[in-house]
Amino acid sequence: MECRYISHLDLNRTMLRALHKSKIPIWHTEGFNPHPFATFPLPLSLGFRGVNECMDVKLEDDDYSFEEIITKLNACLPRGIRVFDVTEAVMKAGKIAYASFTVKLSEEKTPSSAICSELEALLSQDEILIEKKSKKGFKTVDIKPAVQSYEISERFDFAQLDIMLSAGSTDNVNPNLLVTALQNKTGAEYEADITRNDLYNAEKEPFR
Amino acid sequence: MVNREVEKLLLKVQKPGRYVGGELNEVIKDKKDVDLRFAFCFPDTYEVGMSHLGMKILYSLFNSVPYIWCERVFAPWIDMEEEMRRHNIPLYALESGDPISDFDFIGFTLQYELSYSNMLNMLKMGNVPILSSERTELKNIVVAGGPCACNPEPIADFVDIFFIGEGEEVDLEVMEIFRRCRDEGADKPEFLRRCAQVEGVYVPALYEVEYNEDGTIKSFTPKDGAPAVIRKRLMLDMDKSYYPDNFVVPLIEIVHDRAVQEIFRGCIRGCRFCQAGFLYRPVREKSPDTINAQCRALCDNTGYDEVSLSSLSSSDYSRIVPLLEKLTDWTYGEKVSISLPSLRVDGFSDEIMNRIKTVRKSGLTFAPEAGSQRLRDVINKNVRHDELMQTCATAFAGGWTTVKLYFMIGLPTETMDDVADIAHLGQDVVETFYHTPERAKGKSVRVTVSASSFVPKPFTPFQWEPQDTIPVLHEKQRHIKDSIKSKKISFNYHDADTSFLEAVFARGDRKLCRVMQTACERGFHFDGWNDCFDLDKWLEIFEECGIDPAFYANRRRSFDEILPWDHLDYGVKKSFLIKECQKAYENTTTPHCRLQCSQCGAAKYGKGVCFEELKDLVSKVYGVPLYLAP
Repeated sequence: MECRYISHLDLNRTMLRALHKSKIPIWHTEGFNPHPFATFPLPLSLGFRGVNECMDVKLEDDDYSFEEIITKLNACLPRGIRVFDVTEAVMKAGKIAYASFTVKLSEEKTPSSAICSELEALLSQDEILIEKKSKKGFKTVDIKPAVQSYEISERFDFAQLDIMLSAGSTDNVNPNLLVTALQNKTGAEYEADITRNDLYNAEKEPFR
Repeated sequence: MVNREVEKLLLKVQKPGRYVGGELNEVIKDKKDVDLRFAFCFPDTYEVGMSHLGMKILYSLFNSVPYIWCERVFAPWIDMEEEMRRHNIPLYALESGDPISDFDFIGFTLQYELSYSNMLNMLKMGNVPILSSERTELKNIVVAGGPCACNPEPIADFVDIFFIGEGEEVDLEVMEIFRRCRDEGADKPEFLRRCAQVEGVYVPALYEVEYNEDGTIKSFTPKDGAPAVIRKRLMLDMDKSYYPDNFVVPLIEIVHDRAVQEIFRGCIRGCRFCQAGFLYRPVREKSPDTINAQCRALCDNTGYDEVSLSSLSSSDYSRIVPLLEKLTDWTYGEKVSISLPSLRVDGFSDEIMNRIKTVRKSGLTFAPEAGSQRLRDVINKNVRHDELMQTCATAFAGGWTTVKLYFMIGLPTETMDDVADIAHLGQDVVETFYHTPERAKGKSVRVTVSASSFVPKPFTPFQWEPQDTIPVLHEKQRHIKDSIKSKKISFNYHDADTSFLEAVFARGDRKLCRVMQTACERGFHFDGWNDCFDLDKWLEIFEECGIDPAFYANRRRSFDEILPWDHLDYGVKKSFLIKECQKAYENTTTPHCRLQCSQCGAAKYGKGVCFEELKDLVSKVYGVPLYLAP
């Protein structure tokens, strides 16, 4: 739970520290200031739960057992982060094209059925315009093309949106933008609980 | 562990990672299995508090006792405080998420006077009455320790128990008394009376103060069998003293994000402005073997790749070179770097430099404290101009190009010429760079000159001195600025307003409790932060309370005045402090503890540097710490 609330940089630091503590023979970059080589293909926004995140790590020893990595690393991580699988790196980070999310929306005064209809109305629009902050100030963008597929379901005390959005280095859409768009539309302030489920490549194969 | 209500707030505030706990090595116990709960409060932000070594030591020590569960509490930053107030969420401890009013003990560490308002604000946020007299039951016992406990009087009305000196043993003894009192059904006054009999415990409620017409103290009288003099506690054998083999490793970046290894307590030097140099006498070292083993355990258990050797003056560690040899034996292979803060100008040898150079080449920081030799003699800094230049030349030859120099303005006997010499010293360092043939080629030198304002502190030879007024401090700051000619020197200075308030509370008496209480009612917090501090608002309160802050900050006190902290005994005799003060006026220095014993009084503890054999004659004659040489 706690680890949702740290930034990408903090997560990175936490992982590097765990790797260092685990004494897994991680490859260090060469040069003036050697540092352990480990990267996240796609940062997870602060506040998001990640249930299937991955991290690329290069080892010095190619024969190091994957099982051992799992056990050793888990012994060194805070309780909010667990390693459940280790594989060879298959795809490069640049291949990431989509990400799937579960967004749980609630608002004190609005029944979840109403939030569901509001969501449906928003997502069936031809365009979803939102002001995005960039380095050069604000610009209006249409996030509708980024929406690949979605499903809305009504739950007891929240509305659930399962959605696949464009992701990656070129065309990334943060589901928080959708929440903002909904807020702009209805004027209500929602509580949004967001989980990133999976990453996919352009062929919609799970990222490995 | 935070509940749903808190979680709702987290995405509305900056750095929510401050408020969630869940870090590696955090201690979680079952409430049912413990019978004493201690909320260890640091009256500042998570990032500052988590960097504090004392808290790490006591957290681990308390939790090593099966029946105690010690948890951490920090001051929420102003955005979170506002959200918590709006949603009626009381201040909670990070481990359990329980409000601090659930705890048997609420302990504060007092590192700086400007955190007093945070201490009271934290109690208020936890719905705990701030006045000791209004907490009548045997629960929520508010205790406090740390360097500011050496003058507890300005906060005497709020704290039930002060720990005087080092807390490792006395805290546990008091908790044991608490358990017994609770089992026996004894009430809070009885508990406090029993605690007052323990050495190192000060219960302010058991003392009455009378004042003279001029506002000075007339008498200070114990009651209910409390001792007239409260003696500090200290750890005598540092090798046997508890030290954690584990730190809570924060999820977010904190101020000092590394393993910290204490190498000794106290300082041999006796700089006359330095409170720590007197409070922690005598110097007690850990052996290189102990330090090495503890460092290794810490790095293994935390995953930190940097360890900082902590003390008041690292190069004064008598076996620094053998220690660095032991450490570098394994740190290199394990990619762990060593940092050595608090280096003295005269302790920066080639050998030390080469040992720590493998590490990162960050800037070097030295603290000459005063610009002129005369004034450095007044404050007993014992650093000569040529030594400083020699050290800088060594550093420049070793590739360093940035040097930070720390100074104080407003020191006793200071003239405008002394002040201008701060700028001149910076200039000399710049010139030394260009006169060092081995300097880094193609690089320019950067010298940062930093000036803070002198705050006279209790238990120092300057405890009787007036602080310069704010206008005088401003004038001195301007004078330095005007005297700097080189663009290679950047100058910054500490805000004089905060130093003034610090001086008021540092040497204040119980009359200031009313000021503190009003400040708390008005929601004062984070006075150590420019975001929040406003001297004018404080001055309003002083006026309403009919108290002149200059009485505490800017008045010269006479040697025979009863000082608000005279009932506390930190081992250093008042007669010694008077003698040191008089020597300061004569521009005369006092040799450090390893050259000659100056009979300060700390030898009465029977251990430490006072009983080390004096070093060889040569070093004595030349005043050079030869034992550092390779």
